[in-house]
Amino acid sequence: MAMVKERSSADRYKAGVIPYKTMGYWEPDYKPKDTDVITMFRITPQPGVDHEEAAAAVAGESSTATWTVVWTDRLTNCDVYRAKAYKSEPVPNTGPGTKTEQQYFAYIAYDLDLFEGGSIANLTASIIGNVFGFKAVKALRLEDMRIPVAYLKTFQGPATGIVVERERLDKFGRPLLGATTKPKLGLSGRNYGRVVYEALKGGLDFVKDDENINSQPFMHWRDRFLYCMEAVNRASAASGEVKGHYLNVTAGTMEDMYERAEFAKSLGSVIIMTDLVIGYTAIQSMAKWARKNDMILHLHRAGNSTYSRQKNHGMNFRVICKWMRMAGVDHIHAGTVVGKLEGDPLMIKGFYDTLRDTHTPQNLETGLFFEQNWASLKKVMPVASGGIHAGQMHQLIHYLGEDVVLQFGGGTIGHPMGIQAGAVANRVALEAMIMARNEGRDYLREGPEILNKAARWCAPLKSALEVWKDITFNYESTDTADFVPTATGSV
Amino acid sequence: MSNATEDPPAAAVEINLEAEFAASNIQEVFDKLERELVGLVPVKTRIREIAAMLLVERLRKRLGLTTETPTLHMSFTGNPGTGKTTVALRMADILHRLGYIRQGHLVSVTRDDLVGQYIGHTAPKTKEVVKRAMGGVLFIDEAYYLYRPENERDYGQEAIEILLQVMENNRDDLVVILAGYADRMESFFHSNPGFRSRIAHHVDFPDYGRDELLAIGKLMLDRQNYRLSPGAETAFGAYIERRMKRPHFANARSVRNALDRARLRQANRLFAAMGQPLSRDALMTIEEQDIRASRVFLGAPKDKGAA
Amino acid sequence: MMSNHGNRITQGQFSYLPDLTDEQISAQIRYALKNKWALGIEYTDDPHPRNTYWEMFGNPMFDLKDPAGILIEINNCRKTFPNYYIRVTAFDSTAGWETPRMSYIVNRPKKEPGFGVARTEGPGRQISYRVHSYATDKPEGERY
Repeated sequence: MAMVKERSSADRYKAGVIPYKTMGYWEPDYKPKDTDVITMFRITPQPGVDHEEAAAAVAGESSTATWTVVWTDRLTNCDVYRAKAYKSEPVPNTGPGTKTEQQYFAYIAYDLDLFEGGSIANLTASIIGNVFGFKAVKALRLEDMRIPVAYLKTFQGPATGIVVERERLDKFGRPLLGATTKPKLGLSGRNYGRVVYEALKGGLDFVKDDENINSQPFMHWRDRFLYCMEAVNRASAASGEVKGHYLNVTAGTMEDMYERAEFAKSLGSVIIMTDLVIGYTAIQSMAKWARKNDMILHLHRAGNSTYSRQKNHGMNFRVICKWMRMAGVDHIHAGTVVGKLEGDPLMIKGFYDTLRDTHTPQNLETGLFFEQNWASLKKVMPVASGGIHAGQMHQLIHYLGEDVVLQFGGGTIGHPMGIQAGAVANRVALEAMIMARNEGRDYLREGPEILNKAARWCAPLKSALEVWKDITFNYESTDTADFVPTATGSV
Repeated sequence: MSNATEDPPAAAVEINLEAEFAASNIQEVFDKLERELVGLVPVKTRIREIAAMLLVERLRKRLGLTTETPTLHMSFTGNPGTGKTTVALRMADILHRLGYIRQGHLVSVTRDDLVGQYIGHTAPKTKEVVKRAMGGVLFIDEAYYLYRPENERDYGQEAIEILLQVMENNRDDLVVILAGYADRMESFFHSNPGFRSRIAHHVDFPDYGRDELLAIGKLMLDRQNYRLSPGAETAFGAYIERRMKRPHFANARSVRNALDRARLRQANRLFAAMGQPLSRDALMTIEEQDIRASRVFLGAPKDKGAA
Repeated sequence: MMSNHGNRITQGQFSYLPDLTDEQISAQIRYALKNKWALGIEYTDDPHPRNTYWEMFGNPMFDLKDPAGILIEINNCRKTFPNYYIRVTAFDSTAGWETPRMSYIVNRPKKEPGFGVARTEGPGRQISYRVHSYATDKPEGERY
């Protein structure tokens, strides 16, 4: 890497436009401090723009720089506030001879004092505030961040966390089962509650509002809450288990959201939910409310694919996972591997590790570019939802582990023998598979056999396996690992 | 139609004892025992006999010639330092490799681990130990201390009853080895016939001879990168002869203690000669004077242990 | 009689499967031991979903190598409380967990009357719910 020519400070602050690289935003010798926030961007420079200059420009635009030199910099201890790009390297399998134009991974370090404690809004306003529209880069993607322990300690983190959620629900050692009420739209409160009751009584732990079930003409939110809680309590009595329904409190204003959350609490709900689209600050507020009110907070990642799906621009979902763990949600949808939505197995493992581990080592294969110490922030329960069914139970447990909510919406409600039967099928498949796993069997390989054996005494499972036996979603993922020798397709 | 054409003749069932033996990997355990323990030929022979019997028993079970789980509890008798614990460890290994116990670990206890101080204290204590030993070998050293006839309300009796029950009902789950001095064990069995009837194998551990103890000592030193000079070796032979006649003689354990003290003297000797160049050889060598300085060589034997 | 699947309380990991045999129970214990979890045996005649503290049949058992010892205690507990709910719980002491990691029922009463829902009407259409165990109408020890 070429060394930057020394400039005197008089030169540096002469009025006019000078390259970012020479303004102090490119420091190849910089060793990031333990307290620095570190980011890694995937940069596609505009033709003719040197990649180190592009990296410096991103560092500059995401910290102190403006397009021209300002003398007022000299009134500040500006060396500290300048973000420092310290490494830029070509992305494997891009550039000449490949289908993709040349991209670079740029590493940038930010001093801790650039950020306000406990504010995702402030962190993101800096890191992704302006820079994505910047002309010097053709495309830009935030791939990963290393959040220093010192900064993590200013965040509440998950209101409840996996450990306490399980203790409250009294459910251990197996994935939790959920379903989204279908059809999404048009059911009256009374009809809606019927679906909830049937699914919970059949054996699911949770039923869920969908992201866009708020308070529409066909069903006012209060009606939904009242009928859902009737269903939850009836199902709890019918089974002797703690049951829940994620009541979606997403609304137009914070005041409305608090009102809905309070009503959910007054009815005895164990869990509420909201959508990613309400914004980071609103999510943090709901997380604080949830902590104060002994409530589990479920988050639907509505909207994320608008910026997380394309590989060259936007941000990777793993960054959203990190921010949401800091912001304080207890559940987040994080992919299924085997279902209908986007998801490469290795990438999804990276998301799940980010949400659940106390410490994630660097792992390029799963897209974890930095070692991350989670500083005792509680663990977030990932949720797998979309196009999954009982016949995939062995694969789901293999890829996703046991600390996950498996949401079988269509796979429960679409069961030919009815909703209760659909729930029974899922629960029997789950318990049989967990038992086999614990017994030390090669359950991934023997999965179909284990399920068929259980289906011999469980008619609902037999019927589920029959109906959905051919359902798989085999598309290439768009967001895949950069560091694996061969691409891993969806399973 | 005759039956002979349907049933294979008895001789046709191929039994390859050699292959069975090789598959069980117990030769490894024998080799290890050979490396770890000098001499002890009668004990090693006995262990091989027991292993052979267990291997054959396993074959017989496979062919349906027997269905019972054999009683495997044992007693190891002999003086201190004769290798009882080491052999028990290897025995656990053999039993594990032959599939008679599931885990193969050894839980070594004495009376204090089993018997409590108060009413109601002993049963939970003994049960706790038994649970820990499940799947392995429970080695009870100086087992006769469990029985104290002079005190009729001794809590040891409670432990004995639990042990007898477990030895009978959980033969598939654990093997109990009782260890201690031969004479005391004999009288223990005499007053507790329940134990005697449940013990399948008695193994007697003879005292070591002078030459065996010398070889043990050299083996111990060799493992720590020490050696005896020729003079020291002669002196150590003489030391052993004298020590064997003294009270509290504990075979290999006494040898180890004597060598620990000799190393201490060697270090002091080297330290006293500070200033002179020191060779690697000197650091490794125990000299005659390091041995001869022992109190065993002073005047008439005293009744205290050697120092 | 309860009207749900299996007509019984479905707490724990394996309530939707046929009752576990002793071999199956041992296999699950083996899994816990392999993970270095301690095992506790608990019993109750008040299986309300929010009754966290069932009675302990002795302290949790630590540092064991083999399931046989735990199975003995399970069978002792069954012998003492044949008509109670009995569950096995595995406790994980590692950082980030420090909580139960397994819990499954190994004994239950012959008849399980289950629970009713008591409703108290509040303002508007609001209702306060109480899940109520039929068995706890009787005093402790006489419920099943």
